[in-house]
Amino acid sequence: MFDSVFTAASYLADGMNLLFLMLGVVVGIIFGIIPGLGGATAIALLLPLTFGMQAEQAITLMGGVMGAVTIGGSITAILLNTPGTAPNAATCFDGYPLTRQGKAGMAIGAAVTASSVGGVIGALILIMLLPVAKNIILFFGPPAYFMLALLGLTALTAASSNLLRGLIGACLGLFIGFVGYDDLGGVTRYTGGVDYLWDGLSIVPVLIGLFAIAEMLKLYVVGGSIAKSDGATSVGVSGTFEGIKAAFRHFKVILSGSAIGSVIGTVPGVGGTVASFLSYSFTVQTSKNKDEFGKGDIRGVIAPEASNNAKDGGALIPTLAFGIPGSAEMALFLGVLVLHGMDPGPMLLLEREFTIFVLILALLAATVVSGIIVLLTARYLIKVTYIDSSILIPSVIVVSLVGAYALHNSIGDVFAAAFFGVLGYLMHRFDYPRITLVIALVLGGLMERNYFQTSLMYRGDWSKAFGDTPFVILLGLIVLALLMPLIAKAIKRKTGQKA
Amino acid sequence: MKLTTKILSVLCLAVGLSFNAHAFPDEDVSIVIPYSPGGGFDRAVRAFAPQFGEHLGADVTVLPRNVPGAGGRRGTTMVYRADPDGYTLGIINLPGFALPRILGEPAEYDLREMSWIGRIEAQTYVLLVSGSSDINSVKDLQALDEITFTSTGYGSTVLAATQIVARGLGLQEKDPIYLAGYSGTSDSLVALVRGDGNVSMAPISSAAKYVESGDLRALAVTGDSSPFEGVPTFAEAGYPELTPLDLQRALAGPPDMDPEILKALREAFNKTVKDPKFLEAAQKARMDVVPLDGEATAKSLKESFEFYEKFKADLKNPNAL
Repeated sequence: MFDSVFTAASYLADGMNLLFLMLGVVVGIIFGIIPGLGGATAIALLLPLTFGMQAEQAITLMGGVMGAVTIGGSITAILLNTPGTAPNAATCFDGYPLTRQGKAGMAIGAAVTASSVGGVIGALILIMLLPVAKNIILFFGPPAYFMLALLGLTALTAASSNLLRGLIGACLGLFIGFVGYDDLGGVTRYTGGVDYLWDGLSIVPVLIGLFAIAEMLKLYVVGGSIAKSDGATSVGVSGTFEGIKAAFRHFKVILSGSAIGSVIGTVPGVGGTVASFLSYSFTVQTSKNKDEFGKGDIRGVIAPEASNNAKDGGALIPTLAFGIPGSAEMALFLGVLVLHGMDPGPMLLLEREFTIFVLILALLAATVVSGIIVLLTARYLIKVTYIDSSILIPSVIVVSLVGAYALHNSIGDVFAAAFFGVLGYLMHRFDYPRITLVIALVLGGLMERNYFQTSLMYRGDWSKAFGDTPFVILLGLIVLALLMPLIAKAIKRKTGQKA
Repeated sequence: MKLTTKILSVLCLAVGLSFNAHAFPDEDVSIVIPYSPGGGFDRAVRAFAPQFGEHLGADVTVLPRNVPGAGGRRGTTMVYRADPDGYTLGIINLPGFALPRILGEPAEYDLREMSWIGRIEAQTYVLLVSGSSDINSVKDLQALDEITFTSTGYGSTVLAATQIVARGLGLQEKDPIYLAGYSGTSDSLVALVRGDGNVSMAPISSAAKYVESGDLRALAVTGDSSPFEGVPTFAEAGYPELTPLDLQRALAGPPDMDPEILKALREAFNKTVKDPKFLEAAQKARMDVVPLDGEATAKSLKESFEFYEKFKADLKNPNAL
């Protein structure tokens, strides 16, 4: 195995291949920064370029894209409160408040460091998991998926400062998640006969609306620029350096984020967005002082960014071992593999060891290289937040709406983005958290489908689910997560009485 | 006055030109793919388009265009309603896109009216059980008390094929469970390996690698011959009525196309499916090229409709609330 790692590394170091890697990284960063575009669009665009290439070259190029895209996306999340790609959504919650405090440099530094380190850890975990990849995939059945989604939803209680309003937001998210055709029940729900709603609302235009457009409406009402402090002093390398230091100070958060990202990444169909939300809420729940979360806690940036880069390593397992793409991005990557004569399946991992290691190392190198590029350009990027609202608002709204359209070339997505922009602004105005809505929206469909599948599988007898190991483990975690605040309160009371 | 003359002369020129327009085709032709990039239909069109363009004419480019949505209905409706000028074509899932009409659901298109250019691919199905089970034949399967099929959701071609096989083999009487809702065929096959259910149907190309690795065991295949050694066709196993089950990918245009245009398209199609360059690309994309010309495709579609009509009562949603 180590032979393969070495030959793969020397292959990547070759001039031409290095060039492909860099091309992938640069395209990845740019497509990550622009909301609505993203890894899938970038791969689709580069796909025809690979026709004449060797399989390994094509894979190097795509590895560069996949490693870089969420790093690019974190910048938009931090600076403009709109996720550049869907997995960056959780980064907005604390990244943007930091920007408003004039600490954008620090947030970017921390995000990039967390991403790079997370990406490296994810790649290492992938290398370690390869021999047992098949067992992992076979471990998660519908009962486990259901519990996983439920675990994510229990995190809502931690993510909302006002529980009732948080739950109202979550209900709204679940409701929106149910819109569309349900292929188990064979019925359309809440579509009102509108063709566009048949497939349900796709997550990207909803996020663009809720965050980017809502933020611009907010800014329009307030006026001025995004960052409130006097610019010149806090912009610059010192800020980013502070961020890097912060990331290493909270190395535990990076580790837990990467672990969550890798594991969730292996679950097909769940993907980076869920991974980063779970990582975020895990960090919130396990932290002692959680008052600052949502107001600009650097750990809230580190956790999701570590996990959304680590997830690529995990997500490759179902793609390579079973040909099950976990996301649109992976589906296109699967197309690249097939085009170059690599047939995903249990045998691929053994037959094409060298190619797989080229891919893993390309992914690894891409996260580090794109991290460096972003850190070097951060001081210029940050200036965006000091632009006056009269210039910034129209530009961001135009880019957001174009991004929403570019996703599926659908005008319906543009209306959806606009609708959710207004909704997002109203939620902000009346103090309802947007986080819980998004988490519920992401997890709702997953939870529902697997609930019905489990019911069918066990012929309605849920007691059989207790024979499923991951189901029991996850159920235990849920009980623990719900009891934790009560226990913490009880302990506090006891120590309080003593004092 | 002078300006008006100018405008008039330009208009005359334009009208004159359009009357003397070159024979079809003189601009780019687009093929609508009613799914997102990355799937089997997308791959088929992308392998087919370059050579199809070459055979249509020197300056013609054929552009694949993804219009996903509503399980393929959005893209197909778009082709159905397009001008029948030959510049908008679509790749059609057979019998998948015929199902809504057979099931009596609203569909804004009728495949029987479309102008068929030809079939590119046809795939037969295989009946599968887990490699670790002790079910070795269709008879063993019929002896089981509890049957759970893993499958994709209602409205998918695979679920319809599963329901027809369940009826044909007499499994329907055992009140089987259709564990539907998996996001794709590979997903439902992995679920079968995992043991979520105990039997599944899948197109052979999706299932072959699992059968080769021993994770899954093939019990019988549709079609006239079996690609797996020692595995019978349904006809050989005693169920010849299941032989016609298959999954096809065919090219079609809007209804009422000009016969001249349709002829040009069909000719280019027939040349393309024999073009070595296309066949090489098709092999790379792991396609099952089984070409059929336009008229035969239209006829095969009618037979397909009749076949599915026969099983109409079995095709209702097994998990309807």
